[in-house]
This record gives sequence, C-alpha cells and structure tokens, in this order.
Amino acid sequence: MSDASAAAVQALVAWLSPGYPVGAFAYSHGLERAVADGAVRDAQTLQAWVGDVLARGSGRNDAILLAAAHRAPDDLAPAELAAALAVSRERLLETEAQGAAFARTTAQAWGAGDGGPAPYPVAVGRAAAAAGAPLETALTLYLQAFAANLVSVAVRLVPLGQTEGQRALAALAPLCAAVAAEAAGAGLDDLGGAAFAADIAAMRHETQAVRLFRT
Amino acid sequence: MLIAPVHPADLDRRPPDRPAADSGEAGRRAPDGLAAFAPGDQPRARGRAAVSGRLRDGASRVGRLEQQGSARCMLPAVPGRLEAVLLNTAGGVTGGDIFAWEAEAEAGAFLTVSTQAAERAYRAQTGETGRVDATLRLGPGARLDWLPQETILFDGADLARRYEVVMAADARLLMVEQVALGRLAMGETAPRARLRDVWRVRRDGRLIFADALRLDGAAPAVSLDGPGCWAGARAAATVLYVAPDAEDRLGAARAALGDAGRALNGLDAGRGGAPCPAPPPVPSGGASAWRGMLVARLLAPDACALRAALMPLIHALRDAAPPRVWRL
Repeated sequence: MSDASAAAVQALVAWLSPGYPVGAFAYSHGLERAVADGAVRDAQTLQAWVGDVLARGSGRNDAILLAAAHRAPDDLAPAELAAALAVSRERLLETEAQGAAFARTTAQAWGAGDGGPAPYPVAVGRAAAAAGAPLETALTLYLQAFAANLVSVAVRLVPLGQTEGQRALAALAPLCAAVAAEAAGAGLDDLGGAAFAADIAAMRHETQAVRLFRT
Repeated sequence: MLIAPVHPADLDRRPPDRPAADSGEAGRRAPDGLAAFAPGDQPRARGRAAVSGRLRDGASRVGRLEQQGSARCMLPAVPGRLEAVLLNTAGGVTGGDIFAWEAEAEAGAFLTVSTQAAERAYRAQTGETGRVDATLRLGPGARLDWLPQETILFDGADLARRYEVVMAADARLLMVEQVALGRLAMGETAPRARLRDVWRVRRDGRLIFADALRLDGAAPAVSLDGPGCWAGARAAATVLYVAPDAEDRLGAARAALGDAGRALNGLDAGRGGAPCPAPPPVPSGGASAWRGMLVARLLAPDACALRAALMPLIHALRDAAPPRVWRL
C-alpha cells in the first residue's frame, strides 16, 4: 500500500469509527421498534434483520449513493436523491443530521471536503474522494460501521451479550464486503430495495411510547 | 361455512404465460394465428393511453383522451367525479411489451385513475423485460388520485416500471401501488420474478420523493422472507400522499392502519364485504409524514388482505371510498 493510500485508509477508519462525532449512537434505523415488536429478539434474528437492511435496504442504497458522490463530488444528483429516498421523517433526520455533522467535522478537523451539509453517504463519499481514499475500502468500512452501530443498538436493547453481538457482526462482514463490491460498480439506476418491514419499523418508531433512540 | 370463499385471483387457472389473445402488434404480425408463434416466441404488446381532467363550468370533465394499441382508457359515469379506468387489452405484461400511461389533472381539476383489473406480469423470455412507464402531471390546485389495482407477479416475470410525477406546489397527489406474488410451484417459497418499480416525484421543480422497489429474479443472497424485508408477506403496498395538508392527516392515516387489522379480524372489509379466503394475520403497516407529504408501507399475507388493509387508509386520505372497480 502506498503512503498516500495508507493515509487515506487511516482517515477512513477514524471517520467511520463509533467515536467520530456524528452522533451515530443515537440512531437505531427503526431497530428499536423491531425489538419492541419482537421481530428482532436474539442474535439470529438480529443478524437476519441487519443483513436485510444491508443487502436490500438502505445499506445498499447508501453504498450506491456514496459511490456516486465519490465518482462525482460536485454532482448534486446523489445528494438530492439521497434525501428524496428517505421513506420516513426519522430516516430523513438520520441521514441529514449525521451528514451535516460529518461534513462539518471532516472539513474542519481533517481538511477534507467543503463542509457543506449533505446526506450522510454523500458527505462520506465526497470526503473520501477529497482524501484520495479507494472507493471499495470506503464502501466496506461505511457498511461495516453501519452494521456495527445496529449491533450495538441490539446489544443494549434485546439485550445480547457483547460476544454474541460481535459474533453477529463477524458473520455479517462478508455481506458488507459483497454489497460494497456490488455498489462500487453500480449506478443511480440500480438504487432500490425491498426492506419493507424495516421501513415500517422506522415509521412505527415515531409513535413508540418509550424510546432511547432518535430513530 | 365449510368452504371458504375464494379470491377471484385464486380461481384463475391460466398458465403463467400470457394467453396469446388480443395483443395489438401480435395480431398484425401473425394474421394466420398460431402458425406464426415458434416455440418460445411471445407476442409483443404495445400500448399508450393518455387522459386529462379539465375544469369546465366548475366541474372536472375529460380534456384530452388518446389511446393506441393494447391500451384503453374508459370513462365510467360516476356521479360528481371524474374517473378514468385503464385497461390492458393484451391481458397482462410479458417480456418485450411496452406500455405508456399518461394522466394529467389540469389546473383546479380532480381526476381519479384506476385499472379495470389486476395487472398480471407473466413469464418473460430470458433477458426480455416488459416496460411500463406512467407519467402523471398535476397543475396548480389540481388533484390526481392514481389508484390502480394490484400487480400480480408470476414465476419468471420480468417487469420494469417507472412513475414520473410532475406537480405544482399546491397540487394534491394520492398514489398507491400494490404488488402481489402469484401462485407458486410446489416447494417454491417465492417466484423467480424480477421487478423494478421506480418512482420520482417532483413538486414545484424539486425532487421531493424517490422510491424503488427491487425484486430480483435469481436467488438473491438475502431472502425476501427475511424479518427486515417482506417477513413472509406475499403482498406489499406503498402509498404516497403529497398535499399541503399531508402532515395534518397523519393521525387519521395511522388510525386507519390500526383499523385495518381489526377489520381483517372481523372479516368485513374485503371486496364489497366479501371476506378474505382465510382469516389472515393482522397486516403490518406504518405511516410517516414530513415536508408536505405522507408515506405509508404495508405488508399482508395476500392481495386480498392487502386490499382490505388499504381501504380505510385510502378513505382517510381521499375523503371518499376507492373507485368502484376496487370493490368488485
């Protein structure tokens, strides 16, 4: 690995770590509702639910949007589409709030990107391009971070043991890589999915009586 | 009652290939009937229909009406309302077919569009995709309700649809799309059907809503039955309501989704009061509203249960029952 790409990967790992100040820990993507409804109740159902969202839901769509923003950072279409694809009020909040925080912090602290607000995958794609980070690595780490955040939500809510959670994440790692590889070669016409139950959970989260998460 | 009433779709025992009936182009290409059809050959249907609602003397009347090929647009007399009912005379869609539907509610007009029957997507030849494009336009102060009956995907179907909506800032749009998986062969859990449903909605020149339902033909890495996908459902719907009062109606929409479950358990909300074939589990549905639009998604065990769940929701978003063709 050249020094330049090693530095870019270092930056990606920092940006997509749970400690990066985008507030990822506050968003459950509807998983809080799926746990309350009993759809996610153990390690096995967690792995299936997160796998569905990764492969046929917003994980894959975010990856395609990230790739489009990485290829053409000045193109406005991916940002416009990313916001329009939000299927509920909280999904829009999740992508807009994290994206704005990411773009601001990454421009100010790392000097990557112009800091203008954009939906989360688009902000990451633009910054990754500015840092010269390889696309497929950025996609894999983005999806891995997304999956890790959902697993940590479930560890708190189901609840699951830490090792059980990590086992689910390890089992999902090949799927993250496979979706990343597909998204790297996909275009905006390939957007789409079938994660209806996860979408419904995100919608129904809005009326959940007791909530720890913003989404 | 010992024998459960059967949904009309379940009575249909036609093979999953579209019957070589009245497909405009095929008729021209094969005047001598079956001789022209080599094994594996399928007729190609072409159709285009356009209809507009226009405000005249304070009431919505038909403005533009055009129809070509296998597309028809009928205008049943409905007291106090303008309703257009679209019909595909080819009896379904298969690979290579191309249909274009255009519906417009001109300034101040109210147009409801439905379909005469469920759309059937039949087995396509490998690599051949059936295409359906729908273009919806809404002028200032206009209202367009796009309420087709469900689309049934049979094994081997390959269908790509695109809905483009262009609407004025103060127009009102209600859109419903329902997809059901058709009959399955023994041992199959889902048909090998391929579907792309792409939605793009622009209001006042700005893209405000995009959606894409994507079902894969080849066995996907992740099953449609997964707890985050269709979770065992065989029918799904997306409902979009864009209007200045969209957020005000969220409470009513959520109440309607709750009522749908109760109505299903009471078996009194099916087609014209006819119960569904078997008491289905309560369907799953959710709704959300933001920035002048409301979106709902629903999952149900079958097309009949889905329709029963949609009835009260459509009522809540339209202050009127769905079109008569929905009730059969």
